Amino acid sequence: MATPSPVNVGRLTQIAGFELVRMFLTKRGLIALAAFALVWLVILRYPIGQAVGIISSPDFEQIARDISGSIGLSKLLDWPEAEFAMYWLIALYSFPVFSLFICSDQTVGDRERGTLRFLSLRSTRFEILFGRFLGQLAVLTCLVGITLIATLAVLGFREPSLLAGGLGRAVSIFLILIVTFTPFVALMSLINTFASSSRLSIVLAILYFTAGGIIVGLLEWQIPALSVLDYLFPGVQIELLAGQNLPLLSALAIPLGQTAVLLAVAQRIFARSSL
Amino acid sequence: MKSLITGRNLSKSYGSKLALNNVNFEIQKGAPVALVGPNGAGKTTLFSLLCGYIAPSMGELEILGHKPGSAALFNKVSALPQDAQLDPRFNIDKQLSFYAKLQGMGTKQSQIEALRVLDLVGLSEVAKNRAGDLSHGMRKRVTIAQALIGSPQIVMLDEATAGLDPIHAREVRELVSELSSQATFILSSHDLTELERLCSQVLHLDKGILSEHQTKAANTDKHFYTLMLSEAYQNVEQQLQALDGVSRVYMSQHKEYVIEYQPTSDSLDIALLQFCHQHNWQYRQLVNGHTLENQIFKQEKL
Repeated sequence: MATPSPVNVGRLTQIAGFELVRMFLTKRGLIALAAFALVWLVILRYPIGQAVGIISSPDFEQIARDISGSIGLSKLLDWPEAEFAMYWLIALYSFPVFSLFICSDQTVGDRERGTLRFLSLRSTRFEILFGRFLGQLAVLTCLVGITLIATLAVLGFREPSLLAGGLGRAVSIFLILIVTFTPFVALMSLINTFASSSRLSIVLAILYFTAGGIIVGLLEWQIPALSVLDYLFPGVQIELLAGQNLPLLSALAIPLGQTAVLLAVAQRIFARSSL
Repeated sequence: MKSLITGRNLSKSYGSKLALNNVNFEIQKGAPVALVGPNGAGKTTLFSLLCGYIAPSMGELEILGHKPGSAALFNKVSALPQDAQLDPRFNIDKQLSFYAKLQGMGTKQSQIEALRVLDLVGLSEVAKNRAGDLSHGMRKRVTIAQALIGSPQIVMLDEATAGLDPIHAREVRELVSELSSQATFILSSHDLTELERLCSQVLHLDKGILSEHQTKAANTDKHFYTLMLSEAYQNVEQQLQALDGVSRVYMSQHKEYVIEYQPTSDSLDIALLQFCHQHNWQYRQLVNGHTLENQIFKQEKL
C-alpha cells in the first residue's frame, strides 16, 4: 500500500463534515436525534427540573450533603446552579454509553458495503479514519451543546439572575465533557477497523469494558503494580471527575492521552487492512 | 513510451491460496485494455492491487510512477470496484458531489460535475433519489458515473456491464469507446465479444497466471479467418478445405469454422463469401483472424 502522505486539511474537513450531514440530514440520523431529544426532554423535565427543588430544599440539603459527601460529590452541592450539578452527573455517565452507540458505525458499514473503496481512491486512509473520528466528535459536540443550552434555559426559567454565572459554568462543563468523551469515540474508531458490523462494534465495546474490566481487576488483585492498566479504559477518571476531585490537568491529559493511543493503534490497523 | 502501469513479479496469496502467481505486465497509454479470465482467476485481486485496496505478497506495482493508493494518484486514477455500493441512505447527487469535492472541486463545481457524470450514464433524472431506492442496474450505472468524475487518466472498471440490460450495457460500451481518447480504460468482463470490440490489449488471467493477447488492429496473425454461419450445414470443413490457398479448416465451435490459409493467398475473404453465396450458406460474420474467445480458449472441435 501507499507510503504515508501529508494530511490534506480540505479532504479531512470534507469527510468530517459529511458525518454531520449523515447525522442531521438522513432519515436514520433524524430518527436517532428524535429519540435523543425525547430522552433529554424527560431528563430535563424530571431529574433536572424537579431535582433542583429537592436539592434546594433546606430539609433535604443535609441528607443530600451527607450522601453526596460519602461518594465525593459534596462540591457539587455548592454550585448555585443546581441544574448544572444534576446535568453534570447525568451527562458524565450517560454520554459515554450513548457515544458508544452513535459512533458505532464510523468506517465498518462503509467497509462492508464497499463504499470505502470509492473514498480511498480520493483520500488517504488516515484522512478517512481521522476525518470520521472528527465528524463523530463534532456530532457529539453538537448534542452536548444542545443539551447544555436546554439546561441553561431551565436554569434561566427558574432563576434569571443565575444566567450569567450559569453561562460560564456551561462553557467549562462543555469543554471538560467533550474532552472526557473523546476517547470513547476513538475507541469506536479502533473497534471499527476490525469489527464486521456496527452491532458487533457495540458488543465488542461492551465486552471491552466488562470482560476487560474483570480481567484487569483480577490482574491488579494479584499484582497491585498493574493498576496502571486501568488507563486502558476510557472514562477511568470519571469517578473522580464527577465530584470535581480531579486536577484540571489530569481531567484533560488522561482522556487526550488515551485518544492519541487509541487512534494511533486504529490507524496502524486501518492502514494495513484490506478494503 | 513510459508505461502507465507496470507490474513486476507480482504475487498475492490468501493464506495457502495463490491468487496471483508472479505476474508481469505493462500497460501503455491508449486503447482500452481487457482483463479476462474465469471466475476465481485473480482478476478482482489484480484490480484490488491496482486500486491499493490490498497489498501484494511479493513484487512491485507502479501506476504513473507511484505506488497504488498513493495520494499522488488521486484525481488521476479512478475505478469501479466489483460489488462496491454507494451509501443507500444518501441522494446520489450528494454522494457524487462529495466525491468531486474530495477531488478538489468547489461546492458549485462539484454539483455540476455530479450532474454531468450522471448524465453520461443516463441517470440525471434520478439525481435526487437515494441510492437505496434505485434498481440494481441503476446503482451500477451510478457507480460507473463516480469513476468518471474529474478527468482521470486511468479508469478501471471491474465487470462494469454485469447485471445491466443489453441496452444499457451497449450505452456503457459506447461511453467507454467515446472516452477512451481521454483516458486509458482497463476493463474486466466475461463478455469477450464486448472486450473484443473495445480493446486492443488483452490480459488473460487463469489460476493466477497471466498471458497476453492482441485483438483488432494489433492482431498480427494474418493467416486465419473465422467464419460464423447462421445454420449448421453438411461437410462444411471438407468443402472449404477444397478452396485454393486454404491449408486447414476446423470447427472451433458450433457453426463456427477457423480457416487457416497460405500467406500468399490474396482475396481469400472474397472467395470465401462467394463460396458461401454459391452454396446458399447464410453467414453471420467473417472475422479477419481469430476471435478473442478462440485465442483465449483455443477451442478446436475435431
